[in-house]
Amino acid sequence: MTQTHCPYCSLQCGMTLQREGRAALAVQAWPEFPVNDGALCRKGWTATGLRGHRERLTTPLVRDPATGELAAATWDDALDLVAARLTSIQRDHGKDAVAVFGGGGLTNEKAYLLGKLARVALGTSLIDYNGRWCMSSAASAGNQAFGVDRGLPFPLADVEQTDVLVLVGSNLAETMPPAARHLDRLRERGGRVVVIDPRRTPTADRADLFLQPVPGTDLPLALGVLHLLDAAGAVDEAYVAARTTGFDDVRRSVAAWWPERVERVSGVGADELRALATLLAGAARVTVLTARGAEQHSQGTATVLAWINVALALGMCGKPSAGYGCLTGQGNGQGGREHGQKSDQLPGYRMIDDPAARAHVAGVWGVEPESLPGKGLSAYELLDSLGTDGGPRALLVHASNIVVSAPNAVHVAERLAALDLLVVADVVLSETAAMADVVLPVTQWAEETGTMTNLEGRVILRQQAVAPPAGVRSDLDVIAGLASRLGSTAAFPTDPEEAFAELARASAGGRADYAGITYDRIRAEHGVFWPCPSADHPGTPRLFADAFATPDGRARCVVVDHVGAAEQPDDDYPVHLTTGRVLAQYQSGAQTRRITDLPHDGPFVELHPMLAARVGVRDGEPVVVTTRRGELKAPARVVTTIRPDTVFVPFHWVGANRLTHDALDPSSRMPAFKVCAAAVRA
Amino acid sequence: MSAPPGPQRIVVIGAGMAAVRLVEGLVGSSAPAGARTHAGADDPITVTLIGDEPHLPYNRILLSAVLEGTHEPSALTLRSAQWYADHDVELRLGSRVLTVDLERRDVMLVDGETIPYDRLVLATGSIPTLPPIRGLVQVDGRLHERVHAFRHLDDCTRLLAALPQARRAVVVGGGLLGLQVARALSVRGVATEVVEGGEHLLRSQVGTQAGRILARDLRRLGTEVYTGARAVRLTDGPDGGLRLDNGHTLSTDLVVLTAGGRPSTGLARNAGLEVRRGVVVDAHLTTSDPHVHAIGDCAQRGDRTTGFVPPAWEQAELLAAHLAGRITPPYDGSRTVARLRATDLDVAVLGDADAEGEVVEVSNPVAGSHRRLVVADGRIVAATLVGDLSRIGLITQLYDRRTRLAAHEPGDLLLGERAAAPLVVNDASEVCSCAGVTAGAIRACASLAAVRDTTRATTGCGGCTDTVRHLLATRTPPIHLEVPS
Repeated sequence: MTQTHCPYCSLQCGMTLQREGRAALAVQAWPEFPVNDGALCRKGWTATGLRGHRERLTTPLVRDPATGELAAATWDDALDLVAARLTSIQRDHGKDAVAVFGGGGLTNEKAYLLGKLARVALGTSLIDYNGRWCMSSAASAGNQAFGVDRGLPFPLADVEQTDVLVLVGSNLAETMPPAARHLDRLRERGGRVVVIDPRRTPTADRADLFLQPVPGTDLPLALGVLHLLDAAGAVDEAYVAARTTGFDDVRRSVAAWWPERVERVSGVGADELRALATLLAGAARVTVLTARGAEQHSQGTATVLAWINVALALGMCGKPSAGYGCLTGQGNGQGGREHGQKSDQLPGYRMIDDPAARAHVAGVWGVEPESLPGKGLSAYELLDSLGTDGGPRALLVHASNIVVSAPNAVHVAERLAALDLLVVADVVLSETAAMADVVLPVTQWAEETGTMTNLEGRVILRQQAVAPPAGVRSDLDVIAGLASRLGSTAAFPTDPEEAFAELARASAGGRADYAGITYDRIRAEHGVFWPCPSADHPGTPRLFADAFATPDGRARCVVVDHVGAAEQPDDDYPVHLTTGRVLAQYQSGAQTRRITDLPHDGPFVELHPMLAARVGVRDGEPVVVTTRRGELKAPARVVTTIRPDTVFVPFHWVGANRLTHDALDPSSRMPAFKVCAAAVRA
Repeated sequence: MSAPPGPQRIVVIGAGMAAVRLVEGLVGSSAPAGARTHAGADDPITVTLIGDEPHLPYNRILLSAVLEGTHEPSALTLRSAQWYADHDVELRLGSRVLTVDLERRDVMLVDGETIPYDRLVLATGSIPTLPPIRGLVQVDGRLHERVHAFRHLDDCTRLLAALPQARRAVVVGGGLLGLQVARALSVRGVATEVVEGGEHLLRSQVGTQAGRILARDLRRLGTEVYTGARAVRLTDGPDGGLRLDNGHTLSTDLVVLTAGGRPSTGLARNAGLEVRRGVVVDAHLTTSDPHVHAIGDCAQRGDRTTGFVPPAWEQAELLAAHLAGRITPPYDGSRTVARLRATDLDVAVLGDADAEGEVVEVSNPVAGSHRRLVVADGRIVAATLVGDLSRIGLITQLYDRRTRLAAHEPGDLLLGERAAAPLVVNDASEVCSCAGVTAGAIRACASLAAVRDTTRATTGCGGCTDTVRHLLATRTPPIHLEVPS
């Protein structure tokens, strides 16, 4: 019996895997693990479904130049080919002609070594990952306001003890179902739940107060709430004076956001906004959590900052069972951004343009600090530059299905097609792998060991339960194999525990300090919260009790204003399009769509009966959604739970992201996945 | 003409909401070089803001909220003194401009100081109309002690100070401001009456029927309304009060004047600028003098003046962009949404009262609601919502975005959401989405424990627990045939 964690979302539910007979592997509850208390959703229960799947890749594939088809190759041939091509491309076009693209599903060890591969073995500045499309706006806001980016600065279970929980753009009842149990316990205690979402989701069904804004207007809602709190004298003046800076400018800036103005911009009635402010003003403990609905916008960072300002004004951040947090999305969305696969960061959440950070990491890696490349491009900008004049000509992809998950996906697929060399490491032939010149079959989840950092900043351990299928190798093996073929003399450990020990050293002294964490401690302590700088340090479940991670220890209140979505509805594209997830699928669906026990009916278009009647479509009939970038045809789901001026499409299938907009947040470089203008026809 | 050397001196007269928005746009505008339209636009600017009130510029439209008590006065301040200093904006508060000299391009303050400008912006707002009521003004030219204007923060403060001694109040004027003030006084415990000379309340915004329903709503809230009646005389003494032209005399401790205003154009007129109802401006907010602009309530574009913040802000933003040398679309008038801000009195007016189109309306005097949409070419071009704002968040969106609706939609917007069909849970219906369990599978179980063990329903998010309990309680138990032995 092996204790491990679910392969999917950032909740990283604890579970045990039980061998049954020679081949079968069964998922069982692990009731002692505190985040989920043994609860799982159907994705977790069916997670072993990819084992022995007929679509599982078990041999490297190389595209035959003669036929254009992918054909089986040996590992040596495939890695030799990749290394030779990378070397020649870099020789002819410079180091940055090769780019690396990682994922928020990679273990900390893989993310760390992928960054090292890029910076040391390839010497390219161009590495980024799909976590940019996850929680990067909250990360950017957290860094600005608190001086640190840890999704939740407290254990998730703390929310049960808060008095009012505000969920901004989170549908956790479907995206991380076991987390919804905390809402029920909170309400049983007499606490209140507020949900803000353009759709009345199953999460909203558990809310005491539900606000349904136009997509992209969570920011003015926050400004309006703060306006009302200030007007009512509900600001915690002593806290603001002692623990923050910049609040006076923020206070003044919201004087112009009275409720009726917010109503006109957001589509949320002034009375509903007042109800929220009244609820917050009267609560001793308030917790605000944002998720993708608030963050995946061209003003996502500003939106999060606006809600942080609300939490700070109420004096909540650092207070027990209160404050602000982000519900990270991907399994290792948190750890994946801490250890060096982000274009501007080195391990330990160090900034790559900080000389001291470069010196430290270079020391651990045994290279000269000057040899480390500088800051590269963010995920979408990187993809947008592929195959262009002066742009990268080769791309290595680990754990990301870009063709499905990138915004403006038709354009991104064109960029991928323009490459000289596309190498994809994956477990199945994803839509992106299908475009590759070389496909490398890698191990998955129960077949390997490695750490993840969940949405709470708790470092946890996934443990190997079964042997991988013959023919596949771990990403660590792939990275080491490429590094040695590229002539690197730096260490690229293939043993995960050894890799983790090196990661811990590299992170020592950084903001996300793992130096005191070991596999044994994780096993013994149900995970360890960073920062944990030494072996005798207990880890840090709760941040900010005494000070924030800024130089002066005070939180920053940052003035933000509402600019609005980059693309507004007009005569040709008269409705808002928003995207999101369904319970039974995960991310691009490369795994979950192949698990037979999970329903996968394909994409659908959710729309209100008023709009359905306008375009003349009935429930279940095909409907066409178009934007300036692409088109999707899918069955209509006619529901009264969505705003009549908005349509929703889930993003687990090819299609949704052909529609989405690639406007980027100026700070986080997050694309505007959650809103653009669309047309609907029967 | 070549640009003058040195920074461009911009002087703004008036420190209201339009003026502050303009200043925000000016100091925040670092236009990309490519967007510059004329030489000299790269030069730095200096901004001087002249306001006759002694307070930092504040959010005027929330004065009635301060009166009502929902807003602390300090919450109205739009920018801190430090902010103006940080952005090199010179604030001249408590200063009145006496004259504008277009030839010399300067303004003279009442104390004789002159301030030169390269560009002058008039944001002088409007002046409250003084209704023709005898006894309103005392011999010394000041308002009678019981009479209050309601335009400035000081008016609000003075009125608030008078409340503890006041039991009764009369609000003269049944427009948006009048109703807000009336509700505020009423919420403060002052018995309040409203006198409106027109035939119904909000006569500039809504039709007769909506106005009548509004009056009923107000009466229900304890505020008497006199329409079609003019106050003619204020008298003192034991039988004194506010006499109406219908013979009534309303005894009162307070008279609050909210009977509208007119654009403040005196400076412009005396300077020789073209003035009709307001200061006449072109599509770039420029007056008849190319160095002078006007925005907000004092400006007139075409035959329109406005009295609302959103169009004033739109003008301010356009002018800021124009002065910064950015190419701007011409100002073509704004879509307006007038919203009453008063507890328990729900009114929204979208667009112009005289907008042309087909009318879809639902009137319910019993419930005190009246809702009217004016639809032209499938689009909502105007709307009146009284007493029921449940769809305001959608209707304003459709109006502002000029969404083209199908024939059924205006009606649907005014009718309530149709009741959903009763939920039928047949055996194939999925009850637990976390574990993918159907009602049939749950009905096959004998207990909640059995459901958990055999189906895993209720063990994920826990959201289906109530439904599962209900299914178990209402299931038909399996029939066991008792075979007698």
